[in-house]
Amino acid sequence: MTDIRRNNGAPSLFGGVDWWTVILYLSLTVMGFVAVFSASYVEQSEDPFSFSHEYIKHLFWLALSYGVALVIVLLDRSMWHKWAYIICAATIFVVLMTFIPGLGKTVNGARAWLGVGGFTLQPMELAKVGISLATARLMSEYGFTVQKFGDIAKVLMLLAVPMGIAVIQNDTGSGLVFCSFLFMFYREGLDNWICVPMIFLAALLILSFLLTPGVLLIALILIFTFSAGMLMKNRWKVCVKYVATLLVLSTLLFLVATFAFNSQINFYSALLYVTMASMVVVVWYAYRANIRKLYILVLLFFVSVMFLPTSDMVFNHLKPHQQDRIRTFLGLVEDRDLQYNVNQSKIAIGSGGFTGKGFLEGSQIRYGFVPEKHTDFIFCTVGEEFGFMGVLVLFAAQCLLILRLMRMGDRQLEGFGRVYCYCVASILFFHCVINIGMTMGVVPVMGIPLPFISYGGSSLLGFTILVFIAVALDASPIKRSMSLKRW
Amino acid sequence: MINPRNDRWRHIILKWIVVGMFGFFALVAANLQLVDGNDYIDKAADNVIRYIITYPPRGEVFDRNGEYLIQNKICYDLMVVPREAPREGIDTLRLLAITGESPKRLKRAFSNARQSWRVASPIVKYLSAEAKLKMDEWNIPGFYTVPRTVRQYPRNIGGNLLGSLSEVSPRFLERYNDEGYYIKGDYVGEQGIESAYERELRGEKGRIRRNIYANNTSTDVVEKEPVPGKNLVCTIDARLQSFAEELMQGKVGSVVAIEPSTGEILVMASSPTFDPNELVIGRDRGNNYMRLLREPRRPLFNRAVTSPQPPGSTFKLLNGLIGLQEGVLKPHYRYTCNMGYRSGNIKMGCHEHRSPLDLEFAIATSCNAYFCNVYRNILENKKYKSSKEGYEVWREYVESFGFGNRLESDVTGERRGTLMERSYYDKLYRKSWNALTVLSVSIGQGELQCTTLQLANFAATIANRGHYFTPHLVKEIEGQDSIDIKYRTPHYTKVDRAHFETIIKGMWRGVNRDGTCRGAYLEGLDVCGKTGTAQNPLGEDHSTFISFAPRNNPKIAIAVYVEHGGFGASAAVPIASLIEEMYLTDTVKRPWLVEYINNLKPDYYKAYDRHKKK
Repeated sequence: MTDIRRNNGAPSLFGGVDWWTVILYLSLTVMGFVAVFSASYVEQSEDPFSFSHEYIKHLFWLALSYGVALVIVLLDRSMWHKWAYIICAATIFVVLMTFIPGLGKTVNGARAWLGVGGFTLQPMELAKVGISLATARLMSEYGFTVQKFGDIAKVLMLLAVPMGIAVIQNDTGSGLVFCSFLFMFYREGLDNWICVPMIFLAALLILSFLLTPGVLLIALILIFTFSAGMLMKNRWKVCVKYVATLLVLSTLLFLVATFAFNSQINFYSALLYVTMASMVVVVWYAYRANIRKLYILVLLFFVSVMFLPTSDMVFNHLKPHQQDRIRTFLGLVEDRDLQYNVNQSKIAIGSGGFTGKGFLEGSQIRYGFVPEKHTDFIFCTVGEEFGFMGVLVLFAAQCLLILRLMRMGDRQLEGFGRVYCYCVASILFFHCVINIGMTMGVVPVMGIPLPFISYGGSSLLGFTILVFIAVALDASPIKRSMSLKRW
Repeated sequence: MINPRNDRWRHIILKWIVVGMFGFFALVAANLQLVDGNDYIDKAADNVIRYIITYPPRGEVFDRNGEYLIQNKICYDLMVVPREAPREGIDTLRLLAITGESPKRLKRAFSNARQSWRVASPIVKYLSAEAKLKMDEWNIPGFYTVPRTVRQYPRNIGGNLLGSLSEVSPRFLERYNDEGYYIKGDYVGEQGIESAYERELRGEKGRIRRNIYANNTSTDVVEKEPVPGKNLVCTIDARLQSFAEELMQGKVGSVVAIEPSTGEILVMASSPTFDPNELVIGRDRGNNYMRLLREPRRPLFNRAVTSPQPPGSTFKLLNGLIGLQEGVLKPHYRYTCNMGYRSGNIKMGCHEHRSPLDLEFAIATSCNAYFCNVYRNILENKKYKSSKEGYEVWREYVESFGFGNRLESDVTGERRGTLMERSYYDKLYRKSWNALTVLSVSIGQGELQCTTLQLANFAATIANRGHYFTPHLVKEIEGQDSIDIKYRTPHYTKVDRAHFETIIKGMWRGVNRDGTCRGAYLEGLDVCGKTGTAQNPLGEDHSTFISFAPRNNPKIAIAVYVEHGGFGASAAVPIASLIEEMYLTDTVKRPWLVEYINNLKPDYYKAYDRHKKK
């Protein structure tokens, strides 16, 4: 109450700005600079202030980001809603510019970079801003309902554009970031029956290294039957019957094939065949009972069978280079070098101990055992040189920032602001989980940066813009006036 | 439609998902950093720091005239880093031609190398400089040579004497590791000088701390410089040694020559010997070693110190000396000898010579009966209660000449020989024995054995008239003012200096007038000597001879032992005489004698060659 009244009289320049977010942002970027400095500092350097050093470049980007953040807060705070689609189109256009020969640059096999003068830019980082704005605008349109199949399809089509481009760029990691929007969808009221399989699928994708194809397939069947049961509310009996029939039929098929035809079929493939065949029945059932949402589940099921190594048998018949391509596409490259990287990264983090080895003292970082030490594996620097304490501080700052963004979203009155804030929170959360997880070896390696910490102008700038648009929306007079009305 | 604004439940779930995920990561980090932290600290250290041992060059060994006995030679190991090697393969035929390696071994080396993809592994070891140049010329990526030093023996002499290097065995590391100096893969001297002077020759290893960076570059910090091994000057005369080995060819036995005034060993030849180059660390070492080990005549045995044999008649000199010292023998004492010595039913044969005879002639003609009397008188001396006590006194005299114990020289593998204690006979004969029971000892047979080194030392003691210096092989050690004090302190025997002249007179007469060893006569050199012919159950008698020359101011004392060589005069005397001639006059004026010795091939069938396949 008091807070609002004080600002009501004369709106100041920074009126309504969420200072907690700003403080968290500033502390994260400072941590980031320290980490980048440590990772890229060269002791023997003749000119420590030369612009060829990463930390000097990072300083430049940091200054630029602070400036941009200031500008965003000062700008007309209603423009983001108005210009959402135009900004989205513009950023997508910039992303497409990477395909122009001469402008586009290939780094680490991904043609995701723009070379402008001495600087390289990864436009996909900026496209995240555009896509988030456009998604927020789309989902806050009048009459948009998350439960409606057609409405979701619109959003999915919008998201398919950057994901498709990312795949073509051979930069699947950046594309997968948009999967995190499921987080936001859930907040917006997406049905449980679609969220649950998605979350389980994500978990399976991570655990697919550990499980055998048979177990994976059984897990898939159970997940999808469970969500179908949720979808159909009172028809749990049908689901149980369905699973039982599958089991009986596959056992029969297995026995008959083994003893009657003496074929080399195993139970797992029998189950796979029967399940695939049963889909016809499921589709027929959906048609008869007029449950259109069941189609989505069937489609999802097929996709997951294809994507996970459940389709082991099919997969093994592919040529090695095809297999590799699929693995690369999925970001699951089982590479010796990759294994080495993760191993070294774990050694770096683990050897930090409780208090760390001290600033500029980390041997794994200093001597270059950790690959990409200042970009994707920057977390190792924190882990090695500042130890468990440093890691906890970093976790706390990231976690609080994400929670703060969610809170900002929750207190928005307009759908646009809420969706946007959740989009930003989703993207940050996804980046943190994948990046931190991969450096500690619990998530497959995907080349995406740790927000605010990793070296890289585009990502720093992109995340800054993302966060500060949210801050600006949060501070906007519309919100305040509406909240006033409510009070 | 659900109103998202009011759906607090979903908001809370999402909040807890975020907090839970970070909590999970905190747990993972705690597991990495706190639970397994120490393991990772070790792994990180392993990544970064390597300690590299740098080996100093091993000391070289020269003979007394400055000639190389052991030399360091550079050879090369061919290494390969499989990752950098050409993908399409290499011309292995050419590689085989250059290195001279067998295809099978090369194949095995390659498959071993492939195990460690990024690390250099040796493919062919011990390449010659010529092969190395050829490989450099070829210049295949991923292949390179690294130098290493191996030992070389330019003279090809003294296999047992000089010894060789071998890789340290696990047993060695466990038991004899010198304060942990050696690690697996190190080389250590085995046998001979290489082993006896290991500490001096090896130097001190250096250590480099290498900080390794991930891109395969590294910086080195030298923590300790290696200290090169010290060079040694050996007392051996290479030319003489070579000559002695040549003379001993085809015979089993040994020759030891000592400079009496210093105790320096001039020659120590053991036969059969082997070329020390055969046991140089290298491709053939293993095979050669096994071959030498299996040879029935045991070339790996340094017979000069490890093979005690009965000294035979040469031992009579000692009994004479003891008799003189004890006063039971005077030079003019005469005893009769009628083809031997008889007492009761004990009979000791002798050869035909004038009788009766005095000490001087008894030595010269090597009369058994005379020394039986002498020995009996020593043991049955009225001064002592019984001949058993007399034996104890006699034994002390013998011990003072270096018999019955190791001389503690620097020759490895030295044995003490046999000199029985009184208790031995007490036990054997249940305390009922007297001088006659052990009579064979009087002529150097029976329960008496000594090494050739001990015999040579005995000759040197007589030459010195009553004292000896512990025989040793090393004359100078680089950086040291003098050699060990124990080689410079004289050991005095219990026999007075005066008594030696009488014995020497006899020895001189044996060579120069009418004795058993006139074959050792050298004009103007006043050689003194005493032959020995030791009976043994395995065939022909052992031929032995001890000698020194010249009579005054002796320069060389020598002992020759030829197993199954027949009479002392038939094998040992010419060999000793030729070596003395060579040493004292630098020439050999009796080529016919050399030829005679070279053609002399004693029969070793019964003793050694029975197991040889015909």
